Amino acid sequence: MKEYFKYFKWVYLALALMVLILFSIRGAHSISAKVKYYERTNTECLTTQRVFDYADVLSDKEEKKLAGLIAKREKQTGCDIVLVTLNESLKEYAREIEAGVPYDEFVRVFAEQFYEENNFGYNEANGDGVLLIDNWYREDDGKVYTWFCTTGIVQDAYSDADIDHILDRVYQYVEKDPYRAYKTYVNDFYDDMLGKRIFHADVPRALILLPGIIATVIFIFMNWQSRSGEKTTTAATYLSNGKEHFQNKQDIFIRKSVVKHHIDTSSGSGGGGGGHSSGGGGGGGSHGGGGHSR
Amino acid sequence: MIYKCKNCGGNAVYSPGKMKMYCPHCDGMDSEDIVQGGSVTQCVNCGAPINVSRYTSSGRCEHCSSYIVFDERIAGEYEPHLILPFKVSKGLAADRLHVEFKKKTFLPSGFLSEKSLEKMEGMYVPFWLYDYQVRYDFVGQGTKVRRWVSGDTEYVETSYYDVIRKMDADFDKVPADASIAMNDGEMDLMEPYYYQDLIDFDPKFMSGFFGEIYNQSAQELEDRARGKVRESAENLMQQSINGYQTMKPVSRNIDMNRNGLQYALLPVWTYLFQYKGQTWRFHVNGQTGKVVGKTPVSRGKVLLYALSVFASVSAFFYLAISILEVL
Repeated sequence: MKEYFKYFKWVYLALALMVLILFSIRGAHSISAKVKYYERTNTECLTTQRVFDYADVLSDKEEKKLAGLIAKREKQTGCDIVLVTLNESLKEYAREIEAGVPYDEFVRVFAEQFYEENNFGYNEANGDGVLLIDNWYREDDGKVYTWFCTTGIVQDAYSDADIDHILDRVYQYVEKDPYRAYKTYVNDFYDDMLGKRIFHADVPRALILLPGIIATVIFIFMNWQSRSGEKTTTAATYLSNGKEHFQNKQDIFIRKSVVKHHIDTSSGSGGGGGGHSSGGGGGGGSHGGGGHSR
Repeated sequence: MIYKCKNCGGNAVYSPGKMKMYCPHCDGMDSEDIVQGGSVTQCVNCGAPINVSRYTSSGRCEHCSSYIVFDERIAGEYEPHLILPFKVSKGLAADRLHVEFKKKTFLPSGFLSEKSLEKMEGMYVPFWLYDYQVRYDFVGQGTKVRRWVSGDTEYVETSYYDVIRKMDADFDKVPADASIAMNDGEMDLMEPYYYQDLIDFDPKFMSGFFGEIYNQSAQELEDRARGKVRESAENLMQQSINGYQTMKPVSRNIDMNRNGLQYALLPVWTYLFQYKGQTWRFHVNGQTGKVVGKTPVSRGKVLLYALSVFASVSAFFYLAISILEVL
């Protein structure tokens, strides 16, 4: 075992250092987060409620815990944070407001209307805030839709990639543990708004194991068995005086032939690509956002 | 015969470190006296019966631990022409093994332990050393290819040559081990021995070591030596033919004429390690210290280390990502 610890000493020290760095950064964040609180200036908001679990996927206790967390994060971010779960078709509702709106934007229409009707916004009505609507109802096209609706400073803070990332994170857990998914939404939003997350690790956790597997295979391969003793003699090892003698050494030129090939210079072209767009505008205010389906 | 110290009567042996005859009992140097007698069945020192294989020419008495050289096995047709005395001591050979294998991770515990290295034995392995005169005639047709582009046309120019070589080469003391117990491939890897240390046979250098007479005749082993010489000659010829893209031999003729043969004893340290019912053999060249052998693997260590590497690398990536996320 002494040999083992000697072998891995630096590896374990490096890992311990990384753990220390991680906890130090987290600690520093916690301290700084405690210091700064925003004051709410919107007096027109029609409700103090933030969790609207119409789909009833959360227990009362979970709703209460989420509401407490949201209250804290709102003060820290200066943004309203709203969560709506539904379990009903929004087809008729959305198309009444916006004719011909596609399936994936029913939730957008609802989110924007809901935000505006309730006058959400931390600084003013329809001001800074975010709303996540997760509609558990499977629409005619067989899909369940979710929308992340941004308003005010949140709209500026979130790029399409950021929205994709936070929705991916929600979708990681939502089917098995909705509470964990919505808690992730609130906490990740907080991290994003405070600039705590400059790197989005879109790496599935299982993929973290891949370098470990590759490194282990290489490690075993390199150390598996060791054959010692390469051939160290050469053709000249046993030569008397270390040298051969050539009585005749000739390279006689006989003939030459030249072949010509025409080079075809025409070339083809290819390409193409795809894009992703999200967002939309509602009737009253300006909103941003993006959606996912499952 | 046995070499006894004139001063104390102890068994004098050849010391590679001191390059002298040495008495380990009284530290006497070059104080040896030859005591003739004994046989392959009886120890010349203590008279106890001994049991040696049919090829053993020197060994150690199990009863009195004296090193004995068997007179009748170094005489007549078995008298070696040459001997290359050990230059690498047992301690140095053990060091060479340590250096060679110290970085090998999966070695079983106990490998190269002091106790197991204690059993390492030095042995004079019988070798036939062949001298050959080689004449190699080669005729071939070679091509050199040159390509270039001009405008939208590529040109390929092929030049044809007649290649003629007539090579003479003398090969001296090409070794082939004549011990059945020694693996031929392993003994070939022991090479090269540097022959400047080769001297006329003197049995005193065998005292302190095991030794064998040749197990196979020079005729039986000649094909191995010829194979080595042929391969060397082919390589030398190939090295003289440069710059051709293709080479088609038209005729080649190798004449090998043996013009010398010597029977020599060359030094090898042998370390045997028992692991899970299998014997692992390692050899150290007694002149150069070159190590030959394949190490065993402890599966328990493989599992432990592999799991540790896997866990460490995974933890490293997990922590790195976590740190980047919270930065």
